[in-house]
Amino acid sequence: MRDLLIESLSASASANAVSWLRSQISELSENFEKRPFYYAFSGVSRRFSKTATIQSSDDTIDGWDEFRAARAALLLVLAQQEKEVFLETFSAVLNTADIREQVALFSALRWMPHQEELVESAVDGLRTNIVDIYDSIALDNPFPQEHFTEEAWTQMVLKAIFITRPLHRIHGIEKRRNATLAEAISDLAHERWAAGRVITPESWRSCIGFIDERIAGDIGKIAESENPDDRAAAALVVAEEESGKLDDLKTALSDELSRIETGDLSWKSLGQEMEDKLIRKSLT
Amino acid sequence: MRFFDSHVHMVSRTTDDYQRMAAAGVAAIIEPSFWQGQPRTEVGTFKDYFNSLIGFERFRASQFGIKHYCTIGLNPKEANNEKLAEAVMELMPLYICKEGVVGIGEIGYDDQSKMEEKYLIKQAEMALEADLPIQIHTPHRDKKKGTSRTMDVLLDVGVSPDKVIIDHNNEETVKEVLDRGFWAAFTIYPHTKLGNQRMVELMLEYGAEKIVVDSAADWGISDPLAVPKTAALMKERGVTVEEIEKVTYHNPLAAYGQSGQVEESDWEEHEGIDASALFEGNTLFRGGQDIEEAMSQYLIE
Repeated sequence: MRDLLIESLSASASANAVSWLRSQISELSENFEKRPFYYAFSGVSRRFSKTATIQSSDDTIDGWDEFRAARAALLLVLAQQEKEVFLETFSAVLNTADIREQVALFSALRWMPHQEELVESAVDGLRTNIVDIYDSIALDNPFPQEHFTEEAWTQMVLKAIFITRPLHRIHGIEKRRNATLAEAISDLAHERWAAGRVITPESWRSCIGFIDERIAGDIGKIAESENPDDRAAAALVVAEEESGKLDDLKTALSDELSRIETGDLSWKSLGQEMEDKLIRKSLT
Repeated sequence: MRFFDSHVHMVSRTTDDYQRMAAAGVAAIIEPSFWQGQPRTEVGTFKDYFNSLIGFERFRASQFGIKHYCTIGLNPKEANNEKLAEAVMELMPLYICKEGVVGIGEIGYDDQSKMEEKYLIKQAEMALEADLPIQIHTPHRDKKKGTSRTMDVLLDVGVSPDKVIIDHNNEETVKEVLDRGFWAAFTIYPHTKLGNQRMVELMLEYGAEKIVVDSAADWGISDPLAVPKTAALMKERGVTVEEIEKVTYHNPLAAYGQSGQVEESDWEEHEGIDASALFEGNTLFRGGQDIEEAMSQYLIE
């Protein structure tokens, strides 16, 4: 992965910046010391473009900004150090990191050793009120689904719903559904509705398999919504729910259900559409 | 007109201040690390303070369209606590190369004690190592000698005067600072430091070369609009727009720009600069009457 990151950086960044990075990596690989690592990790901001992004055939890193990619490459050198040095340095850097450094650290968690010892840091990182940091842990990152307790998972997904993040980009959103989360989503929806507000339609995906009477009522409500995205979500829930508890909604949602059959509608397509709307909204 | 206030302690200021600063045309600011009004007793509070400078305060400023930078350092008052000072020296390397850290500062003398000198030297060496500008706090007491001594020490360490901004100057210190090739910054701070009428006189005498005007607004009675207000007074007294722009914008940008961590394009992408419009017709003008009232009394004594 380190070579892939450097290769992608070579295509976008200045030759000077890339050769600086290569020399830092080779010096640190040969003789790792904390202070030069600190200077290199933070000093990425002095060499690379503040705004440029990299392109890669690997989806994981495609679109990362140069700071994130270069810092991840340096973290892969840290990852080769002995356990104590690794954990001490990782924690020192994380505890003093600025926003973009935190994004790099959390994005690189998937490639780090001793992951069990980094779980608390990731859970703590989600307490941020800065969206970029939250996203670097929760979205497009396999780490939470592999390591989070049910409690931490539930809090992460609830917060994602609360701050309207694209849920289809959470790894394991389907696999890690649970009853507590389903109930909390229903509670949040009722709160929002009481205030005359909405909840992102993607939320209901986490309720599949945990449909009780109240949630069945919620799905019935969104099945009748004027918002086509709500109806699409209701149909996606109905199509996947195997308990038969939602079968009576099938007639009302027949149009949406046939779109699912033809592959025209999926959680991914709905999620992507919601995300596009969110971006459009933030631009206006 | 756009301003760059290169010395202001925003952690002590309110959102009203941010709104007014943005409305008055302050495009970018530097927040130096400083004393918090009472001594810190643990290195952990330094870490959290530095974290707030590169984290939440930067984020908070961005919410008002203001670009926030900082300098990292151990202030002279706390340099007298040797155990704490050593721990802060260990901590600083984690911060000084970060994005938006434009120098080591504010450092210098307070009592002019031996400990203060020890950590002034250590931090000047760190600035050399990381190739960063230095922001100097000159002492309130025995200022003239303290300022000379600071420059002597920095030159001994091997720092280039061109990379040092000596702050809190007055009529007594400015000549030597400029003669020795350092940047001379002036803090427009009511009552205890320098009023802006005196600043205008200084400009008329010394011109704009290597001169910087800042507010150093903090937790005391101070004025986060000191830079735009001083610019307004300068304009009224016949200082040219070009010279006003130099001391309130271009000079601090050039001095701290030597860090490679701040450039005009960082904020220019948001709004173009209209040099002909001083206050009126400011595109960032969103404080309405509030800012008109705030700016109406621009004399700071």
